[in-house]
Amino acid sequence: MGRIIEEIYVWRLPVRLYHWINALTTAALFITGMYIAAPLFNPPLGEAVLYKGFSWWRYLHFAAGFIFIANFLFRLYWALFGEDKYARFGGFRPWSPTWWGTPFREQVESYLFLRSDEPNYVGHNPVAALAHFVFIFCGSSFMIFSGLAMYGENNPGGFNSVWFGWMIPLFGGSYTLHFAHHLFAWIFPIYLIMHLYAVFRHDVVDRTSVTSSIITGYKHKVEEEPS
Amino acid sequence: MQSNQTFADVFKAGGVSRRDFLKFCTLTSVYLGLSPSMVPSIVHAMEKKPRTPVIWLHGQECTCCSESFIRSSHPTIEDIIFNLISLDYDDVLSAAAGNQLEDVRRKTMKDYKGKYILAVEGNASTKDDGVYCMVGGDSFLNTLKETAADAAAIIAWGACASYGCVQNAHPNPSGAAPVSDIIKDKPIIKVPGCPPISEVMTGVVTHFHTFGTLPELDRMGRPKAFYNTRIHDKCYRRAFFDAGQFVRSFDDEATRKGWCLYKMGCKGPTTYNSCSKIQWNGGTSFPIGSGHPCIGCSEPNFWDRGPFYSRLAEVPFLGSDSNADKIGVVAVGAAAAGAAAHAAVTAVKKAKAGNEDNDKA
Ligand code: HEM
Repeated sequence: MGRIIEEIYVWRLPVRLYHWINALTTAALFITGMYIAAPLFNPPLGEAVLYKGFSWWRYLHFAAGFIFIANFLFRLYWALFGEDKYARFGGFRPWSPTWWGTPFREQVESYLFLRSDEPNYVGHNPVAALAHFVFIFCGSSFMIFSGLAMYGENNPGGFNSVWFGWMIPLFGGSYTLHFAHHLFAWIFPIYLIMHLYAVFRHDVVDRTSVTSSIITGYKHKVEEEPS
Repeated sequence: MQSNQTFADVFKAGGVSRRDFLKFCTLTSVYLGLSPSMVPSIVHAMEKKPRTPVIWLHGQECTCCSESFIRSSHPTIEDIIFNLISLDYDDVLSAAAGNQLEDVRRKTMKDYKGKYILAVEGNASTKDDGVYCMVGGDSFLNTLKETAADAAAIIAWGACASYGCVQNAHPNPSGAAPVSDIIKDKPIIKVPGCPPISEVMTGVVTHFHTFGTLPELDRMGRPKAFYNTRIHDKCYRRAFFDAGQFVRSFDDEATRKGWCLYKMGCKGPTTYNSCSKIQWNGGTSFPIGSGHPCIGCSEPNFWDRGPFYSRLAEVPFLGSDSNADKIGVVAVGAAAAGAAAHAAVTAVKKAKAGNEDNDKA
């Protein structure tokens, strides 16, 4: 192991808090959501009015959902106004061909073993930025919009039904929207696998202590191993 | 039929007392969800306004909408309204047939240009110029376009006319298309259901007759008064849903106890209709009331959202029928396999690089 040359404070406290709240609420949402789709536990015996067996799971889903939304909005605020150079949208320009140019290509090539050196980034590399945009930004936005549309269904004309209810005809009905919400829930475990793999691998290959950085906030630059 | 009689005239001629007539108006206002202060407007419209002429077309359909419409709970009242709409053309109910009947349609279209209501039951085949549905010597597609041109508004009866129903379920061999796909320039009221509830049908007609306007429609073009809430929201089994007391198979104890049918694939939570409020056959019951899960017949494309008895729809995926969870598991498996393969290659490369370093040293 090479010597640590530099310690860089990459993930500031708000970013780390966002990360962990997001991880916990997403896990909670996935588990409670799957339970909503297929309630397993045996029913309680006795008067229905005495039990909240199923509405409790739905309540947990919605509660986690609103924390998830608040946290997501906070992260958007932080990306736009946080003046945090490692956590802003600034560098992400997928509409511009130059963004897809050399740095992106080099990173893809490195992941595909087409080049031996690893491009080094302190914050997110371009491929990671794209993955986050697709899975976390688009994926969460879809879950939030579809979730709120379904949440508003029991109160037609209410806030959620007015602001998000248009999702229902867009997806051709309430059932299809449920189906899409359910199907896209699966992007989170998929993302989790890729995310954990990429993090652990980078830790092994570039030794930048990326794994601990999301707890401590610090990444390290280490000396190239003497060859 | 004389089209310029008012409803009240016909009621009187039919021997219906003024008291029953007012009862009818009040009941209708309740169905339409209007406040009691609106009852006089309904009475006024029924007494003073000439009956609204209706042309009722039948395309690719099973006539269950008509069956529902003519079979109503309160015979006097519903029979009366059935006799009362100035139903100038209905090729299934008319005694006349052939050219004679088609002439009536054309005459009504001319005499009441821009004033009549076009009620459409069923949908049109659009493939091969609509040859898969020929009515009165012409394709239904042409008849529909021709008759819609001068209509004040169109009522799309049932799932067929509103969304397409079984005719445009996959693979839709005749290219069946709902009315809203064919007619773009007229107000269309969608009254989905297979069939719609009879009181809903008469309610829509009465609303138009009373106010001369379309009832308030929701985002999907359905009258809000009847399609604003889900079956689930007014379901008498809702308490069992919240408690987590579900039927797990059709012969278990829970079935006998009348618990929630959610796990049996009930589409009540995603279906907008009045079955749990108005119910069927004069408030006798509705599917869930008889222990059968809702199949969501008033929702778009419900045939393709099957199977009816499971909660998650099956969709074609990699050449077989899968549901969202099967697709999800395959995708997660693929991601895990990809990561493992990538890890293996990384390890091999690293080992090689290590060896080379050693060789150099
Ligand atoms: C990571 C994010 C989320 C995941 C993985 C997730 C997952 C799920 C799943 C699997 C279902 C069951 C769908 C079905 O088969 O009917 C569901 C239902 C639902 N979710 Fe989410 N969800 C997420 C976010 C949200 C958010 C932010 C809201 C907004 C409050 C929300 C509101 C709902 C509602 C209203 C339902 C329907 C409940 C019912 O039908 O009783 N979800 N969710």
